[in-house]
Amino acid sequence: MDFEVAYSPEQEQFRAEVRAWLAEHVPQVEGDRDSDENYEKYRQLGRELGAKGWLRPAAPVEYGGGGLPVDHAIVIAEEVDRYDLRLPPYYDSGGTLGGASILVWGTEEQKRRMLPPIFRGEVVTWQLLTGPEAGSDLAGTTTDARRDGDEYVLNGEKVFVGGSHGADFLWTIARTDATGERHRNLSWFLIPADLPGIQYRRMELLGDGNEGIGSGYKNTIYFDNVRVPAAQLVGGENNGWQVASTHLELEHGAGGRIGSNRLFRMTREWARQLKREGRPLIEHPDVQERLVDVFVQTEVTRLLNLRNYWMNQSHQRMSYEGPQASYYGKMAGLEVSQAMMDIIGPYALTTDEEWDVSRGLVEPYLKSAIVALHPGGTADIQKVIIARRIGVGRDIAERAGDTGGQAAF
Amino acid sequence: MDLSLTETQELLKRGVEEFIERETPLSSVVSLQQSERGYSDAIWRTAAEVGWLGMLTPEAYGGSGSSFMDAAVVFQALGAGAIPGPLLSSGVIAPLVIEALGTEAQREQYLPALARGELVATFALTEPEWGWGVDRVQLRAEASGDGYRLNGTKLFVYDAHAADVLLVAARTSEGVRVFVVPATAAGVEVRRLEGLFSAECQVRLTGVQVPASAMLGRTDGGGTAAALEAALLRATPILCAYQVGGAQTAFELSVDYSRRRRQFGQPIGRFQHVQNHIVQLVNHLDGARWTTYEALWKLDAGKPGVEVSAHLAKVCASEGFVHAVNYAHEVHAGVGVMHEYGLTLFTRLSRSLYFALGDPKWHRQRLAALLPDHELSEVA
Ligand SMILES: Cc1cc2nc3c(=O)[nH]c(=O)nc-3n(C[C@H](O)[C@H](O)[C@H](O)COP(=O)(O)OP(=O)(O)OC[C@H]3O[C@@H](n4cnc5c(N)ncnc54)[C@H](O)[C@@H]3O)c2cc1C
Repeated sequence: MDFEVAYSPEQEQFRAEVRAWLAEHVPQVEGDRDSDENYEKYRQLGRELGAKGWLRPAAPVEYGGGGLPVDHAIVIAEEVDRYDLRLPPYYDSGGTLGGASILVWGTEEQKRRMLPPIFRGEVVTWQLLTGPEAGSDLAGTTTDARRDGDEYVLNGEKVFVGGSHGADFLWTIARTDATGERHRNLSWFLIPADLPGIQYRRMELLGDGNEGIGSGYKNTIYFDNVRVPAAQLVGGENNGWQVASTHLELEHGAGGRIGSNRLFRMTREWARQLKREGRPLIEHPDVQERLVDVFVQTEVTRLLNLRNYWMNQSHQRMSYEGPQASYYGKMAGLEVSQAMMDIIGPYALTTDEEWDVSRGLVEPYLKSAIVALHPGGTADIQKVIIARRIGVGRDIAERAGDTGGQAAF
Repeated sequence: MDLSLTETQELLKRGVEEFIERETPLSSVVSLQQSERGYSDAIWRTAAEVGWLGMLTPEAYGGSGSSFMDAAVVFQALGAGAIPGPLLSSGVIAPLVIEALGTEAQREQYLPALARGELVATFALTEPEWGWGVDRVQLRAEASGDGYRLNGTKLFVYDAHAADVLLVAARTSEGVRVFVVPATAAGVEVRRLEGLFSAECQVRLTGVQVPASAMLGRTDGGGTAAALEAALLRATPILCAYQVGGAQTAFELSVDYSRRRRQFGQPIGRFQHVQNHIVQLVNHLDGARWTTYEALWKLDAGKPGVEVSAHLAKVCASEGFVHAVNYAHEVHAGVGVMHEYGLTLFTRLSRSLYFALGDPKWHRQRLAALLPDHELSEVA
């Protein structure tokens, strides 16, 4: 076993190239990374990465990806992580999850038409699954898409979706057979976001769910007789549940992640800066104990994601690992939050310019740890899936959805 | 033994609940929270008229001299409604501090006005090197002319933005003392802080000159640090009751939602994972509730071991409220994080009050110091 990625001389050479390129192209930003101005800078970085094939490095070249081998993709991911960024460097949930799903389920024509703009960073796509009636029970959606000639007519409402900077496409699940059998009545659509009849309303939530730059707030989206060209239906009419299994598998954490334990490093730093009884917090035994708690939780989270990254990239057969990483991460978020409150006291709660030692990190973290319990399936839903995949109380364990090893795009 | 509320207490409780239903349902608190001051005159007027601000103040000073348990019943109901405003600061902590530390003249000067809601006071102890021990106070009060000159910063002071007077704990040559400082005095700067707070403020005192009479208990020697610690400890279980009220609402919202919300063709409360959240929640709620009630009873009945019970209650109430809210969020999923629903009011309060009158860590340390010699009761 080897936990270190072994880098060939060729990779190291590639790393030097990537590092130099990033140093030149990663924008200098001040203040809120999610401001309109900064968001536009990250979009521009995305387009430049896309043009080089580094935005979705492992995606096939013929569809606009980089076509790079996995070991090169890892190098890019690591180098981007040094800037506390991920690929893409902004919120593009529909691009990541929808792109992978289209690659598995789209027709050749659809892949050539839909994927290049996504993989090159030219468009942003939001994923629209949840409706007021259909949260955990995604298959119970009542957003309807009725066939009418060469078009489908959509009606319904989606909630908790998208981000704060608009989208070009909406990757959406809808019911194509209102009276059909459950799980055999759904279809996916890649919908141009500016079609007539689509309305957007901002939702006021506790926090932003920590989905990265551009995910600032969530929206309610209303479809009122929206006419979508039939060519935008992906994966076959009424075959949407199969497509969803790819999408959900990725969303449940099967893609994994590599990166350093930044949260612990920062918490330790704050404990050094703040003082109690004339001594830095980090010298107090009670603080040290809680710091260890943060370390344990964040290290296990890091390793579960590292394992998934390795499994996914090397096309290992996965079972419960995706939802496990998701579940563990959600729970660790709550525990780490409370540990931070114990370590840095009420400083954890403030965003005040003078007193917030973290410069806008901890208070949003405490909020998003709560909010992040729900997206991509609640903690309970992850538990339900883990148990089925392990085969608890059943002779045949449920199989994981087919990701086609696509996650890293 | 009888663990039920008395008839009077039931009436008190219903009074608050009816007021909340009529005047300040959760939806209205949500919009109040976004206003600059954070609470309304209507709330304050009612609190004063009905007598919620003077419950712990003796009749001789214009209060009702109620028991701690009576007051806790009211504050639990207020907490259940997430009712904002300096109710605890000005209606519980400040009167208890002034009554315990002040001279006769000082009590007469402040207590009736506090009970009538005409004067709003808050207590300022914590500083940048944060901590709730009275011994942590560093802000200086130097003898100057006929009085004292105060210099330093108080941080995370609840409700200072709404206060007419600040009860400032300061270090003098004789130890820590409390000074009554008008918020309008020259050199006082109050700033409300942004964050996951209820109403925490920064208070900066720059060369603030106060007369000698501003020091609580100066002429009769009553205003000692020990007296201050004792007063804060008495206020603690009332704050705990407010937290219990908040946890109670998190519980009720969750049970109600588990019945109403349907997924997969059934109420979500049928799922064992959801049941587990609510079971954990109610355990935290009842742990906080009964440790708090026992501490209140000991206060009223003058039983030994009050300190231990008060520390225990604050540990359970602070931790329990946070956990109760977290479980409520799990039950509600998406809906719970929408501000308009109301649960996030309690999320905010649970985090903010976690630290009020000492965080669980501090109270655990106090317990650790007391437990080796703590006499356990023989019965039960
Ligand atoms: C910040 C944020 C971002 C989001 N982003 C997106 C997005 O980009 N796109 C999108 O489509 N959606 C998004 N969502 C929605 C999210 O996917 C849903 O909130 C989530 O799936 C849960 O659905 P729900 O809120 O309706 O809760 P419900 O499904 O109503 O769940 C209520 C409770 O019931 C439990 N429960 C339900 N079914 C079961 C079961 N079978 N077994 C055990 N327990 C069960 C749940 O665990 C929960 O405790 C987001 C949500 C948030 C809060």
